[in-house]
Amino acid sequence: MILQSVKMAWEAITSNKMRSFLTMLGIIIGVVALVVLVSLVNGATGAVTSEITALGNDMVTVNVRDDKGSPIRLEDMDEIASLEAVGEAAPSGSLNATAKFGYSDVAVSLYGTTPAYYNIQGLNLKYGRFLKTADIENASYVAVLAYNTAEELFGKADVVGEQLTIAGRSFLVVGVLEEDTSLFASMIGGYSAYAPFTVESRMADEPYVTTLSVSPNGNTDETENQVESYMLTRFHQDEDAFRLMNMSSISDAMSTVTGTLSLLLGGIAAISLLVGGIGIMNIMLVSVTERTKEIGIRKAIGAGKKSIMMQFLIEALMVSLMGCLLGLALSWLILEIVTVIAKTIAFSMSIGVVLLAVGFASAIGLIFGLYPANKAANKHPIEALRYEG
Amino acid sequence: MASGNPIISMTDITKVYTVGGEEVRALDGANLTIREGEFVSIIGPSGSGKSTLMNIIGCLDVADSGEYILDGQSIEQYSEEELARIRNKKIGFIFQNFNLLSRMSALANVELPLIYQRMHLNERKEKAKQALDRVGLTDRSNHKPAELSGGQQQRVAIARALATNPAILLADEPTGNLDSKTGEDIIALFHELHRAGDTIVLITHNEQIASKAQRRIRILDGKVSEVGV
Ligand SMILES: Nc1ncnc2c1ncn2[C@@H]1O[C@H](COP(=O)(O)OP(=O)(O)OP(=O)(O)O)[C@@H](O)[C@H]1O
Ligand SMILES: [Mg+2]
Repeated sequence: MILQSVKMAWEAITSNKMRSFLTMLGIIIGVVALVVLVSLVNGATGAVTSEITALGNDMVTVNVRDDKGSPIRLEDMDEIASLEAVGEAAPSGSLNATAKFGYSDVAVSLYGTTPAYYNIQGLNLKYGRFLKTADIENASYVAVLAYNTAEELFGKADVVGEQLTIAGRSFLVVGVLEEDTSLFASMIGGYSAYAPFTVESRMADEPYVTTLSVSPNGNTDETENQVESYMLTRFHQDEDAFRLMNMSSISDAMSTVTGTLSLLLGGIAAISLLVGGIGIMNIMLVSVTERTKEIGIRKAIGAGKKSIMMQFLIEALMVSLMGCLLGLALSWLILEIVTVIAKTIAFSMSIGVVLLAVGFASAIGLIFGLYPANKAANKHPIEALRYEG
Repeated sequence: MASGNPIISMTDITKVYTVGGEEVRALDGANLTIREGEFVSIIGPSGSGKSTLMNIIGCLDVADSGEYILDGQSIEQYSEEELARIRNKKIGFIFQNFNLLSRMSALANVELPLIYQRMHLNERKEKAKQALDRVGLTDRSNHKPAELSGGQQQRVAIARALATNPAILLADEPTGNLDSKTGEDIIALFHELHRAGDTIVLITHNEQIASKAQRRIRILDGKVSEVGV
């Protein structure tokens, strides 16, 4: 019987293609809105979160705002590193300056740090070496360049052994990092270089450590706790004297934002689906009236209430599901195009959102088909037969 | 011939319509018995209650009072769903204006009552073809109603009524929309079906057609009376 109802519904839908399509349009638009918006948010979130994890792994960063008379010195880094849950610790002072080589110059962020920084940040070398302990102790004017910095300044990447000036001082290039192709790097942009902390702090006229990062030894939460209590002890229990940050707190905050965002956008899309459902109900009601005679004939030759009900309900369901399928196809197309345009992010429909769309569309087809179908099923056979449309 | 089992047995059937506060007694204590294999014609002036009677016989409507037994079953406390099943299995309707579904082919129209019996495809097609064959329309089975003449459309409707092998065929002025020649052909078809054993109730205005039936019943103001037994 269901098969027959499907067949009948199909005949009814195809016998008035334009109208059926227009009825579906509401659902199509709703589904496209739902799927595309949710997929875009998910795609962007996924890309950014994986960047964050890849980039900052699980380091904890501390920013000192007020040293309360007991500033952190370079020597204190060992003490911090010796905390049980801390792996390594490195300062990262920074200053903005102009780097020059020959006639070319570029604005760089110069980070003053120690060898531990390499592992904490998860950096990778392409050429040469990173900073050494001896460089720090001797306050040598040596620098490690980011790949893009080297390319921009020298027009090539393999520049180990070359001399350049940063903020007017001459530096020897000892290493070049691997190219950072991540989305994050392309979003933040900029050029960076790394020098010994002792050199950078002298140039910036900031002898103390104001920013430092540590890598965890085991559990990141534990690391955070220990670093926090260390800082609290140091800064007279003043929580506002410093700020603690880790990547997971950033990505948590981010996923809260994107979660809210996709809920909001999904909600808007759901409303447009609802409007599509009302469109279906509207047309179904017209269709039931138009087909009063047909209903009368079917009843006269033995169709029961249930069969008529089923026929119209399935018709509504099919219109809505066909709209849903078309909407999914269109969404897929749109996402492919966006992926091509966005280049770095691959947007795709998750099974979850597809199921959500199908579920929502069927629910809407059923709910908004119920009233017209019921109206059809309850027509009195004789009156229906008499109807002249 | 009139000695078969009663298929229809009505006692004191009344149907009253109230329009604008005024009562119209469409059927007023009608009594009627129709036996298996009979060919009964019902005549009466317009508004006398013929269609009302037929709708009640065909279970499209229920009487306000009285007893109606169809094929041994008392039709009183049935639900709509059950009445639909009875119409499907026991009744074959033929209407003045054919009442075919215009979107479907002749064959599909004939199949329709069988679909509601949940009959399987092959058997259904077979039965529908047989029915079309009986009314002589095998070669038109794929035509849509609009592609058929009035007489042919009425034949399709008759085939549809025959397809389920009903206990009784009910025809309400089946020739009303046809020219007299075509009408005669249709009446001839009914006589042929009657000879083959079908039970037929035929409503008509036409005295001449009525007179050819084996038995004649007259309705006047909702009251039924036998003519010239
Ligand atoms: N749904 C209805 N509401 C009110 N009155 C009705 C209804 N159906 C029939 N009637 C009345 O019942 C009476 C019998 O009607 P019916 O249709 O049975 O007549 P008929 O004999 O078939 O007439 P005709 O030969 O014109 O078809 C008429 O007076 C009609 O007005
Ligand atoms: Mg009538």
